[in-house]
Parts: sequence; C-alpha cells; structure tokens
Amino acid sequence: MDIFLQQVINALVVGTFYGLIALGYSMVYGIIRLLNFAHGDLFMLGAFAGFSVLSLFTGQVGFIGIGLALIVSVLVVGLIGLGVERIAYRPLIKKKSPKLNLLITAVGVSLAIEYAVMLSYGPSFRVYPIQLPNTGFHIGDVKITYIQLGIILFTILIMIFLQLFIHKSIYGKAMRSIAIDDTATSLMGIPVHRFIGLTFFMGSGLAAVAGVMDGIYYGQINFLMGFLFGLKAFTAAVIGGIGSVNGAMLGGLVLGIVETLGTVYVGGEWKDVFAFGILILFLVLKPTGLLGEAVNERV
Amino acid sequence: MKAHSKIASILLVLSFLFLTACGSGNGNEIVIGVISPTTGQSAKMGQDMNNAIQMAVDEINGKGGVNNKKIRLVFADDACDPQASTTAANKLVSENVSAVIGGYCSSAVLPASGVFNSAGIPMVVTAANSEKIPENNYKNIFLLNSTASAQAQTATNYMISNLKGKKIAILNDNTAYSVDLAERTRDAIQKAGGQVVLYESVDPNASDFNSVLTKVKSKTPDATYWTGYYAAGGLLIKQFKQQGVSGSFGVADGSVDQTLIKIAGENNAEGVFATMSPLPQFIPGAKNWSKDYETKFKQAPGPYSALSYDGMRLIIHALEQAKSDDPNAITGAIAKTKGFATFAGPVEFKANGTLTKSNFIMIGVKNGQFEMVK
Repeated sequence: MDIFLQQVINALVVGTFYGLIALGYSMVYGIIRLLNFAHGDLFMLGAFAGFSVLSLFTGQVGFIGIGLALIVSVLVVGLIGLGVERIAYRPLIKKKSPKLNLLITAVGVSLAIEYAVMLSYGPSFRVYPIQLPNTGFHIGDVKITYIQLGIILFTILIMIFLQLFIHKSIYGKAMRSIAIDDTATSLMGIPVHRFIGLTFFMGSGLAAVAGVMDGIYYGQINFLMGFLFGLKAFTAAVIGGIGSVNGAMLGGLVLGIVETLGTVYVGGEWKDVFAFGILILFLVLKPTGLLGEAVNERV
Repeated sequence: MKAHSKIASILLVLSFLFLTACGSGNGNEIVIGVISPTTGQSAKMGQDMNNAIQMAVDEINGKGGVNNKKIRLVFADDACDPQASTTAANKLVSENVSAVIGGYCSSAVLPASGVFNSAGIPMVVTAANSEKIPENNYKNIFLLNSTASAQAQTATNYMISNLKGKKIAILNDNTAYSVDLAERTRDAIQKAGGQVVLYESVDPNASDFNSVLTKVKSKTPDATYWTGYYAAGGLLIKQFKQQGVSGSFGVADGSVDQTLIKIAGENNAEGVFATMSPLPQFIPGAKNWSKDYETKFKQAPGPYSALSYDGMRLIIHALEQAKSDDPNAITGAIAKTKGFATFAGPVEFKANGTLTKSNFIMIGVKNGQFEMVK
C-alpha cells in the first residue's frame, strides 16, 4: 500500500508538469483552433531562460533568485510566444489559410526554436545552477520532498488565478467570446488579434513556469527536452478535452497516473505505450475528452 | 527562354558531375569518412569524437601526410538513429572513402556496418560496443572498444566479489547498446550465483524516473546497475538518492561523463561506481595528450575522444603498412595489426573484429571526480 501511495505522489508531480504545459496548448486551441506544436519548445525556452538568470547568481541561490528566474522567464518566453504568433501565425490566420498550413507552420516554428537554442547554448545537457536539498517529510513510509509539495501548491495557485482571470475578468470574457465566435466578437468592437496575442502570451508564460520548475526539480535541461513533454502535454490536453482549461490540468494528472501505474504493474518500457495508447483511445472513442465540448474542426 | 534554361540546367548537372569527379578522383589525397552523431541527444559525444579524429589527421598532415598523400576527412551525421545512419553511410560510400571511422551508438552502427560491408570499405568503430556488431562476422568492421560481454563480466565481478552483493537490479534505456549490455550482465550475475531482483527499461527522454525507482526500492537491492547513457543516468542517481533506495548505484561506460556528476549533484554521485574503457585521464602516459586536446579545442576530451584518436592513428598505421589507399588493402592491414600501441595498451583483433584482450577497468566517483578503483 505504501508503495502504491508513493507512486501516486510520483504521478502527481509528473502530472502537474504535463498539466501546466497542456494549459497553454488548450488555451491556444480554444481560441484559434490551432495545435501549437511549438508549445513544448516554449517550455524548453522557459527552462533555458531560467537557466540564464540563475547562472548570473554566484553562491547560494535563494527564493528571490528563483522568483526572479520565474518572472524573467515568463516575460521573455511570453514575448517570444507573442512574436511567434505575430510573425508566423497571424498572417495565416488573417488570410484564412487552411488549418493544415497553420499546423505545418507550427512544426517549422518548433524546429526553428529547437535549433536556435542548440546554436546558442550548445547541444549538450546543461545542469541547472541550483541544487535544492532532498529533504522532506514522511507520512507513514511515503516520502514527500518539500520541493514536490512546493511544485504542487504553486500549480494550484496558478490554477486558481487562471480560473479567476478567465471567468471573472473582462479580458477573460473577451477571450471566451472569441473562442465562441471571433467574427461576432470583432463586430462588438473587441480587438480580436490583441486578445489572441494575450492568449499566446499567457500560454507561453505558463509553459515557461513549467520549464523553470522542471529545471529546478530535475536539474538537467537540453534543447530537445520540449519534444516529448510537448507530445505528452498534447495527450493530456486531449484527455481533458482540448480547449478546456480545467480539462488540461485534469488530463495532466490522469496521464501522470496512467503512466505511473503502467510502469508499476507492467514495466518501465511500457510507459510511453500507455501514454500514447490512451491518446489513441480518446481520439477514437471520446475526442471531446473528459471535460471538453463538441469539436467541429479537426486536424 | 525555355531552351536557355534547359541548356543551363544541363550545364549545371555536368558541372556537378565534373566537380564530384574532381573531389574523389584527386590522387593527392586520401579520403577518410567519419560517421558520428553531431545532432540529437548524443551530439556532444559525436563532436568529441570528431575533434579527436581531426587532431590525429592534422598531426599526420602536418608531417606531410601518409604515403606522400594528405588525408581529407568527410564527416557524416548519423544522429544516433538507424535510418539517418544508413543515409550517412551511403553518403560516405558515394564519396569513395578509403576507410571509415566513428560510430557512437550501437543502434546506428549496426545498419551502417552492413552498408560498409557490402561496399567493401573498412570501418573502425571507436565507441559502440554492442555484441550484435561482431555477430554479423563482417570481415571489415573492427571494434576498438571491448564489447558488451567483457563489460558485463567486469561489472558482475565487481558487484558480486567487491561489493558482496546478492540482490542486484538492472536498468536499461531500451537502445540496442543498453539492452544488450543489460542482458549480458543479467546472465553473468545469475551464472555467478547472484540474484537479479529487477530488470527494467526506462525511457531516456523522460526526466522523471521516480515510478521505476520506487519499484527498485521495494526490492531492497544491494546494487543497481544502469546500462544507459549519462543524461538519464544523472537523473536516475539523483532520484535514487532522493528516494533513499538501498545499496550502491553503478553505471556503464555510456554514462561516464563529468556531466553525469553535475546532473546528479556531487553529494548524490559520491560513491557511484562505473565500468569504463581506460581513458587518458586514468593513464599517466596520456596526460599530455589531454592537455594538447584542451589547448586545441578549448574543452576537455570526451569519454571516446582518446579511442577515436587511437582509431584514426590505427587507420593511418594501416595505410602505411598497406602502402596503398585501397579499401581492401587497408582492411587486410588492420586485420594483421600486431601490438599497435594505444592509450589502452597494445591492440590486436580477433577474426570477428573484436579486441583480443578486454580493456575495461573499474572507476568510481570520489569528491566529484571519476577515479580509478583499486
């Protein structure tokens, strides 16, 4: 039983990361029906931006350093996300190009980001300039480290903020309205493209937060780290119902648990088979996911 | 207009033919192919190998070349991927190379060695050491690194005799090299009277191995042996210590890299043991070479730099012995190598292209550095 509970804790931490990245995927899909395949790479960029900030510190990096790394990373990656939308996607959206063109552009953006980072930071693995202690507390035989607890609590905070933003603020209202009908929204005098930009900024910022937390928690980053995480986050978004913010988080947790249980009861080599097997099952049997609404367009 | 562009395109094609003919038909140089991963996960390893090979070639060219010809290197990227590797190998064959050196990932070397075998071009493999490569019995593929069974035996001896281990867990990363070594270690342990309590694969691209490690923990092993590469290895060590799994942690040669210690954190890596080919930093005679390398490339040699350097010297030696740059003559000369001095000691090959004598040693992490274990 203790081993099972320990595995649930393991699953929660992994699921949190998947969920955070899936949020951005879902938000962008919700508003312009684009599967932004470069999203995993924005996560990677976030990790590298945090790496650069933390490298400036000498000696012990405290909470101020981590806070600063998070803020700078969110701003930098948010702006890059905004730039990607402006340069790569907006011309296509304005031309009303087929969705496939957008999708292929997204793959191109993904490769461009990956190899730009490879050229500027090098192909080798970088080690995060911060080593947090392994300390934690025990509940029975189950060990939870403080950093694991911190990651889960911080993510809950972000979720609460996001809920309030989307459902209570005027900006969130505009975003939801664009998701329902962008033409009608623009007729109401709402600057649609500015809000699409805001969505990209927020989605990229969330990915950056996940990136920095990943760097701090696991300690190792690489220019290709966003690829697998991007695919897993996409899976999480589909499980939860793509376009749904709560669904993304739920999907992340479900995926984390499915993967972990697959590892425990079948074997480590089956982990990805479980992850992507469940993706196929959902796409075939319930493409709207757990919390999603009916999807009209597919890619 | 149309006719013009047609003539232009024909001229263009002809000029390409002419140019390529120039490239390979030049009698004043010997073309040697280098196949290694310079993109993807193992890009750093490939670059480390390429640097060392370039260094050996620069040295011999500086002395006027071999057989009065300069050596020119042609680099091909196998990306550590079986498909990319086949393309890269075919590219080298079409460039009419006299011999090929390199090969980091066994999964990429396997298909490439087939291509070079049917083209009759000798290949000196300077890192990959899966037993599946010599199993094909290709007469022109030579492995400068001892194969997996030698490494599995060294690891087993250490875990069973030195560590007095009975219960051993083995983890691999599902690549050809890693699975092969893991299987051989499992067999060797069982033969030596030990018990393999867990045998599993993990996905090396993931960063969270806690689920597998919790499983390892529940088996209370005396030692855990990881046969994959250093990136995932570092994370495994870190999470192994975080979870407080029993016993010691060991890694195979693919994980021996300073980055492993950095990723794991110095405290966590302390006491980790490793099976490894003898590197220049463990051999007194190779200290100067390492310094020269650092001056030239502004970074320390990688784990396979020294073997790659030796491999290139072996090819040069074979070119001298054969007094020719004909691929068959080079193959014959390499096969007949007797006591060729390398950093790892004298080198000779068995009929299947593997070394006659295993070159693995035991090293361990002490104060954040890999050191020889006595």
